[in-house]
Amino acid sequence: MRILILCTDAFGGHGGIALYMRDLVTALVADERCEEVVVVPRKVSRPFDALPPKVTFHAESARGAASYVGTVARLRRERFDLVICGHLNLLPFARALSPKPLLFIYGIEAWQPVRRAVPFIQSCGGVVSISEITLRRFRDWSSFRCPSHLLPNAIHLDEYLVVPKPREERRVLMTLGRLAGRERYKGFDEVLEVLPSLPNDVVYIIAGDGEDAPRLRKRAKELAVADRVIFTGFVREEEKAALYASADAYVMPSRGEGFGFVLLEAMACGLPTIGSKHDGGREALRDGLLGTLVDPTSPAEIRAAIVDALEFGTRARPEGLDYFAFDRFVERTRAIIDDVMRGTR
Amino acid sequence: MCGITALFAYRSDAPPVNPVEVERITQRMFARGPDAGGVYLSADGRVGLGSRRLAIIDLHEEASQPLTDVEGDLTIVFNGEIYNHRELRTRLEKRGARFRTTSDTEVLLQLYRHHGRSMVQLLRGMFAFAIWDSRERKMFVARDPYGIKPLFFSDDGRTIRIASQVKALLAGEAVSRTHDPAGIAGFFLLGSVPEPFTMFESIRAVEAGTAFFIDENGRGVVWRYAPIASVLEHAESQRHIARLVPPRVLLRELVTESIDYHLVSDVPVGAFLSAGIDSTTLVALANAPIHTVTILFDVFRDREFNETREADEFARQRGAPHTTRVVTRDEFVADMPKIFDAMDQPTIDGVNTWFVSKAAAEQKLKVALSGIGGDELFGSYTSFSRIPRIVAAVHAAQHVPLGSRALSGALATMRRTNPKTKRITTYGGTYAGAYLLQRGLFMPEELPSIVGEEVAEEGLRRLSIVEHIAGVLNPAPSTPYGRVAALEASLYMRNQLLRDTDWASMAHSLEVRTPLVDASLLRQLAPVIVEHGQRCKYEFANAPEPPLPPSIRTRPKTGFVTPLRDWMDLPPDGTSTRIRQWSRIVYEQFR
Repeated sequence: MRILILCTDAFGGHGGIALYMRDLVTALVADERCEEVVVVPRKVSRPFDALPPKVTFHAESARGAASYVGTVARLRRERFDLVICGHLNLLPFARALSPKPLLFIYGIEAWQPVRRAVPFIQSCGGVVSISEITLRRFRDWSSFRCPSHLLPNAIHLDEYLVVPKPREERRVLMTLGRLAGRERYKGFDEVLEVLPSLPNDVVYIIAGDGEDAPRLRKRAKELAVADRVIFTGFVREEEKAALYASADAYVMPSRGEGFGFVLLEAMACGLPTIGSKHDGGREALRDGLLGTLVDPTSPAEIRAAIVDALEFGTRARPEGLDYFAFDRFVERTRAIIDDVMRGTR
Repeated sequence: MCGITALFAYRSDAPPVNPVEVERITQRMFARGPDAGGVYLSADGRVGLGSRRLAIIDLHEEASQPLTDVEGDLTIVFNGEIYNHRELRTRLEKRGARFRTTSDTEVLLQLYRHHGRSMVQLLRGMFAFAIWDSRERKMFVARDPYGIKPLFFSDDGRTIRIASQVKALLAGEAVSRTHDPAGIAGFFLLGSVPEPFTMFESIRAVEAGTAFFIDENGRGVVWRYAPIASVLEHAESQRHIARLVPPRVLLRELVTESIDYHLVSDVPVGAFLSAGIDSTTLVALANAPIHTVTILFDVFRDREFNETREADEFARQRGAPHTTRVVTRDEFVADMPKIFDAMDQPTIDGVNTWFVSKAAAEQKLKVALSGIGGDELFGSYTSFSRIPRIVAAVHAAQHVPLGSRALSGALATMRRTNPKTKRITTYGGTYAGAYLLQRGLFMPEELPSIVGEEVAEEGLRRLSIVEHIAGVLNPAPSTPYGRVAALEASLYMRNQLLRDTDWASMAHSLEVRTPLVDASLLRQLAPVIVEHGQRCKYEFANAPEPPLPPSIRTRPKTGFVTPLRDWMDLPPDGTSTRIRQWSRIVYEQFR
């Protein structure tokens, strides 16, 4: 079986979709039926380690739009058993390579109509969504009624450690994410708003970079908590473990997460975790089984959940986190491929 | 759902609480809670609590009120429902809280123990309660953000008396019956008595969205924990959130969630159904078949107000039990004494809710969903377009050359025979004044001829109607839509629709639940309604899958009108419904 993946980024990429794609590729090549996975990324922004076996990675396609189109044109001459479209924006290309591509969707990119994808959606052989909320919202505007599958994020539990917090007097809340100026849905503002009502020893780490940082700094000043808010700037992968280890609770009262992979990371590090009732965070916390769900519009609920996490939370992985373990991701991927291949025969 | 009483002789020189008075007040509210009743008297005689209970959640006797917690030092009387009580309970148990019932009432006690007064901000539901904290010898009193459940008090400086109804407080025979000119003026200006005023000088409403303590020094500072206007004002900085998802989808998700919460019950839940968008969409979005009830006033059988054909058809397609109940003039006349007895304060509306509640109770329903609140959320009233137009026109007339043309446009929207037309330039320059023009029953200048010079002058002075209206716009939303939404929710809906729904339904021992009047829903939807305005109504009608049928989506709004003009043969009064004449008849019952 030869599989082609068109994606925005994967190896050498930053962020949630790149990570998800890397996991997907790794899961696909673990399937003994798979002979080759060809990956065509739109972006490669940093050096990457050795690729998994059986993977052909067309890094040259990331040089620009023309390179991407050229790579896709060349690949039209080859035969693939399955073409995976890793982003709605790439659907026209995927459709050019296959009459029935398998579309992957994640979060806000699939919650509103995507004009360039609309003409091609009904021809997709299936849709794989990271979460139920994304699938539901995608179906609403796309009217897509063909086979659909859920493939939530995976967490490599062996890559994380639950370590005791270094001794310090402060209690630390943390949110990790891009500080996007336009969407502003991660919940940074919501945590800042309740910070003044929390004890003075509680500080808040805003981990990540983005164009919204100046506004958030200003807001912290207005709320007179600037001295209790730490902006880390961009966080490299290798810095994450130390950051999680320094925190007492992970808080993300968001409204735009397709899933919320960082919640899995925080739980893998043993942090009590607070997520949102109103986006994909609900599924990452398994409807509240793994962490506390809050209404992100309710400062009182957020505050109460933080106080509970700081006073009654324990530093341990929650029971049931292995639902998202990587081997389960591999199993789910295999089941989806089985299903899709049955449909294409 | 219940009727509750709380007496606290807080000053040491006050006589002890009279158990007979507690009993009298509580018994006056028998219809609010026919399932059980109880009285608590503190050992020192300083506190008396009473309750009549309509059992909806945890039907066991142990959940009856007044309810004391496991520790034995907190006792509550509570009217309402806490829809998120199960999740609150789970969190409290993690903190070590212990329970002996599965009721939402006991959750309130533990929530107070663990969170103090800020507990009210964690509640999703409708509520009015009093908690006696015997450890600190203080009472905590609170009412829900919209004011769905009523609560009134009378404080003579030594003893405070609290009850779910004004008439119940009077039944205790310890409260003065001196009329309040401000309450009378408020009734004639707006058609219902605006809180905190009542028809009696010594009785005030515990205002919606407020809470306070009472200790040996009396009532403490009133905490306004959830002003509707502040939610709408805050939403203006949250528009980016509304742009993440199409409005129809968000409306479907959030309203469905609200309905799910409102279906939490240990008894069957029904629904009032008209052919309007709000009630039909609620029923369509509910995840379970719901017994629906529609009424038909027989004189409307062949008129545009007859909604039964569309409602019957809609219900038939849903496949759930449906009842259409015909109401005749004879029945209305026979019920009139009971209606006026149940009417807690004068109001020009509520007769319609009386009959639909009666019909639901006849079907053995104890709980019914209502579509109230949709018009205020989604801007269906003409006030959403008229008020901003009036304000703009008056401003233009005052400040802009050729402004008089704009003013004539605004005048054209009102009938010239209406006394309000003459007052446009007097009141129309502000949102509060324009709201009075839009919603006013009579104009202040008309009051002397109705209630006499003295009462009118005193009432208008104490009420300060325009300032009173402006008071709910604090903080003021910056968009016209946000301002009118705040005005309608904080005045017309709170003082009229919700009050009428309460007395008219409770008289039939029916609990009415309002999924669209929900503070959590408002917080979540506010960015959407501020961003999309009146388009939300269209999106709401399209929210169910499949969307509502075109016969309902495109039906002109008729309102839930009662044929008082026909039934009472009311003389002309400048209104199509003769509602001004009806208000005088109502007022006579309260003199």
